[in-house]
Amino acid sequence: MNNAWITGREMTQAEKNAWFHNESLVKRVEVVKKELVAQPGNIEAVTEGLLFLVGEDGVRAEQLALAIEKSMEDTMIILENIQRKYSSELYGIELVGYGSVYKFVTKKDIHPYAQRLFGETKPNNLSAAVLETLAIIAYKQPITRVEIEELRGVSADVMLRKLQARNLIREAGRSEAVGRPILYEVTEEFMDAFKLYTLKELPDLPEYNKKDENENLFE
Amino acid sequence: MGFEVETLKFEGPLDLMLHLIHEQQLDIFDLDMEILTDQYIAYLHSMEELHLEIESEYLVELATLIEYKSKKLLPRKSDEPEDDYEDPKDRLVRRLLEYQKYKEVSKTLYDSYLERQDQLSKPLSIDEIAKHQSEIETQKIEGDPYDLLKAMNKVLRRLQLSRPLDIKFTQKEISPEDRILQIKARLKDLPETFSFETLIEDCDSLREYVVTFIAILDMAKDHYLVFTIDENENIWFSRGNNHE
Repeated sequence: MNNAWITGREMTQAEKNAWFHNESLVKRVEVVKKELVAQPGNIEAVTEGLLFLVGEDGVRAEQLALAIEKSMEDTMIILENIQRKYSSELYGIELVGYGSVYKFVTKKDIHPYAQRLFGETKPNNLSAAVLETLAIIAYKQPITRVEIEELRGVSADVMLRKLQARNLIREAGRSEAVGRPILYEVTEEFMDAFKLYTLKELPDLPEYNKKDENENLFE
Repeated sequence: MGFEVETLKFEGPLDLMLHLIHEQQLDIFDLDMEILTDQYIAYLHSMEELHLEIESEYLVELATLIEYKSKKLLPRKSDEPEDDYEDPKDRLVRRLLEYQKYKEVSKTLYDSYLERQDQLSKPLSIDEIAKHQSEIETQKIEGDPYDLLKAMNKVLRRLQLSRPLDIKFTQKEISPEDRILQIKARLKDLPETFSFETLIEDCDSLREYVVTFIAILDMAKDHYLVFTIDENENIWFSRGNNHE
């Protein structure tokens, strides 16, 4: 293609005349000019910069939309674009939106190198008791302490306090049942910890049917 | 038959029952309550012999199992109306199946959790925090120790990330009492409101953070300092009533 617009060579006079007489094109240039004045810099780059600043705390799309003065729809498109860009193997970081909070994280391939740089890090283990309790809350929320205890057959009082202190669950009002017990639900931090954008992404619960015999019940 | 003592850790009575059902190859949908009850009791006995403390939850479920067994032994009057309660066996099977579901799915969740642990991020940029500082309202909250614990965790994590390559050869020993004196001496140079990070600027080991933390807990108790935790879980201090 020898289009001056694309190749960047100087336009000939004939081309210039043709250019300026193409009204719709002139109008589009005007619009683009205005946009550039109102919004200096590439908005995607601006968003990327903001995402860098917020670090591990992350930012919600709603907050970003206000900051970059774009609609939610536009903001989501921008976020998707950045996400797509960083999914390339050219980059060592990626944009994640666990629990609808967007942040840059290093890709998992970086981890072994990070350990070499910083020294072996102790993995933050979760006990089976913590995992089971969290799973029950995530699938059945909002749920009361008594319901959790009935399901696991053990007291959940201390566990719920610990999970609240770790910000993995929070109180979500009170049940209408007798005594109006506190209801619990999982937090964005829970979704972040388990790589969930929404709770709909939770894996399906296994189903056990009598017909299957109980062969794969304990696999 | 002899009962082999296993030092397995169970997450509760239901977990133990699932293990016994599996071990005895019982059909969970057509549960032989007698074998289950006998094995369950045998397990609790073996724990007793090892002088292990049996948690009350295990005894609660034991009571259910024994109640079921005793009812079966008693002759039932034919004219006795069937009660409306769910059959204890059906209820137990339902609970076991339900519990099994969450036990299974929590393994899948754990895999995602481990994957997430490999993705690292950096703290919020420091300049932004400094700007944020001016917006903090100094509103007192009733000190819930769990909130403070949460905030402390965050501070420790940040510090860990900010000084990953620090190498130390010496160890300074300081008591919380001495630390209180140090902090009191520093107070006159500090602004009205200051963060926990400011207080531990001169610390460079976990031990010193902890000593400082204990010191400020003491000072808060004596109303020498008041603390506030903002929505970002930063701990802020100002001088309390007892500060002359």
